[in-house]
Amino acid sequence: MLASYLTMAAILFCIGLYGALTKRNAVIVLLSIELMLNAANLNLVAFSKYGLAPSLKGQIFSLFSITVGAAEAAVGIAVLIALFRARGSVNVDDYDEMRR
Amino acid sequence: MSPDTVSNELAPLSWADAAYFAPEWILLAFFILLAVLDLFLARSTSRAVIGYLTLTGLVASMGAVLWRLIDRDQAGSGEGEPVADVIRLLADSYRIDDFASMLKLVFLAAAALIVLMSLGTVKQEEVPNRGEFYYLLLPAVVGAMMMASAGDLITLYVGLELLSVTTYVLVGLRKREVKSAEAAFKYVVTGGIASAFILFGMSYLYGLTGATNFGAIAQAFQSQQAIAAPELLYAGLFLLLGGFGVKIAAAPFHAWAPDVYQGAPTPITAFLAVVAKGASLAAMFRLVFSIGFFASAPGWPIADDIFLLLLVLAAAAMIVGTTAALVQRNMKRLLALSGVANAGYLLIPIGLSLQDMHASNTGEFGFYLIAYMLMNIGAFAVVSLVERSRGEELLGGFAGMYHRAPWTAIAMLIFLLSLAGLPVTGGFFGKLFILLGAAQSGAYWILAVMVASSVISYYFYFAIARQMFMRSLGDDTPIPVPVTTGIVIWICAALTLVLGIVPTPLLSWMNEHISIVTDLLVR
Repeated sequence: MLASYLTMAAILFCIGLYGALTKRNAVIVLLSIELMLNAANLNLVAFSKYGLAPSLKGQIFSLFSITVGAAEAAVGIAVLIALFRARGSVNVDDYDEMRR
Repeated sequence: MSPDTVSNELAPLSWADAAYFAPEWILLAFFILLAVLDLFLARSTSRAVIGYLTLTGLVASMGAVLWRLIDRDQAGSGEGEPVADVIRLLADSYRIDDFASMLKLVFLAAAALIVLMSLGTVKQEEVPNRGEFYYLLLPAVVGAMMMASAGDLITLYVGLELLSVTTYVLVGLRKREVKSAEAAFKYVVTGGIASAFILFGMSYLYGLTGATNFGAIAQAFQSQQAIAAPELLYAGLFLLLGGFGVKIAAAPFHAWAPDVYQGAPTPITAFLAVVAKGASLAAMFRLVFSIGFFASAPGWPIADDIFLLLLVLAAAAMIVGTTAALVQRNMKRLLALSGVANAGYLLIPIGLSLQDMHASNTGEFGFYLIAYMLMNIGAFAVVSLVERSRGEELLGGFAGMYHRAPWTAIAMLIFLLSLAGLPVTGGFFGKLFILLGAAQSGAYWILAVMVASSVISYYFYFAIARQMFMRSLGDDTPIPVPVTTGIVIWICAALTLVLGIVPTPLLSWMNEHISIVTDLLVR
């Protein structure tokens, strides 16, 4: 049972990482990061039920990380809005002001 | 609260325990008060008052940390023990020991210097919300302090995110500047990915041991005859170190640093270079010595591999940081890359482990961190002056600086000597102690890499000095130096020289008080 949860989480993490590194739309990049965080949450909850030493700590940890993840997403979107206002684009390829 | 066992009982925060959190309470109280005050102050009122109140909060918090440090020192020596017991709070999830206190003092002093420096150089038209600029530094420092004191994965993660999320906002505060928003977005994305790696690594550590407390995890490693799945443990620890590698901007995880450092307001750049980097290094130090050190399984030398990995990371950071800086013409990007190399120097004491009678890792780490803080904040203060007078921060902006602001040019020369690691400066002794430590542990290859990268770095540090003293633009209008920024520059320059002339008191204090065995290895 544990193995399937862990595999699922690992796949989610990799999809998230792939999306964060390759997608051109900034909103999707932020979404992909959320996917990576949620993969870790899935791990924590799976371990707290089926792990070698099951305990409630994993679920508590996941509650903390969900809260923190929400704060991070809010700031991420706020920064993106500021950038969209200044740059007029959500394509990450256009964010090259400092690489010229 | 017995020292050798980890209590699994619920430990609510009592009033007596709450007093130990005084430094953090002070910062949070100032933060909330200043956030409210900022709302009620008239739009026309200068926000410098918020800056000075932020400074007051930081200094008060520093006083509380110092008071606790002295109090513990006396308690320890009274009973004939050299070091007092570590104070453990909330079921050992928050630890107050000398390692944490030393780092807290460094972070608070750095933040105070940065506030003082920005009082003179940050312009209203550049940062529209100057109130936020000052008081948002407070929760960021609280996050850094939590990371230095954390004894539990959850505390560490929350502290890390408190620091990260606040600095994401601070980087983007130059609202009208495209570069600033762009830097903030890049920082959010790389920082978010790094956090996800750290959290994923932590989930494996929790899964294998069923504990989130550092001590309990180390105990689980030692009590289990064989770790059930060494592969997962490898994956977990390496993900964790990779994530922190991004946070400290060690090569090959450093690509975000030049862009973010360039786009951020210059004082915030200094904050990222000193406090954010220092806090992540402190967390790595604690993780490696309280968890990684005990991770081993038959046939799987996990601990050795972790220490080797850290040294490889250090070597890569030193080589990549110095060689990339050779072609850099933008001062903020150059200092970002020099920060990458410095992250490498600071990783060496962590990666050396405890071998062959070498146990002064914390002293070497702490000394160089303090020297690094002084020279970096000083250099960024000078850069912010040049940026302010010329509107850009290119290397050419330093041309003829000796004729335009002779004293500031001399202070900058001290910082450059210290960054390059030449006497008589703190940076020289910092590097020397790390070198001696490496030689003592027999890691000669890292010593060679370190010397080579130092020598290469002379090229670009002296390029700046050459611009300042030997070039002239024919424009000899003096660069105005605001009083507060001048104070910061001279505090940093004087202390850098003091550390370079009498390094032993600080080093011996740290070696006497901070020991890996009592502060970090305990269960």
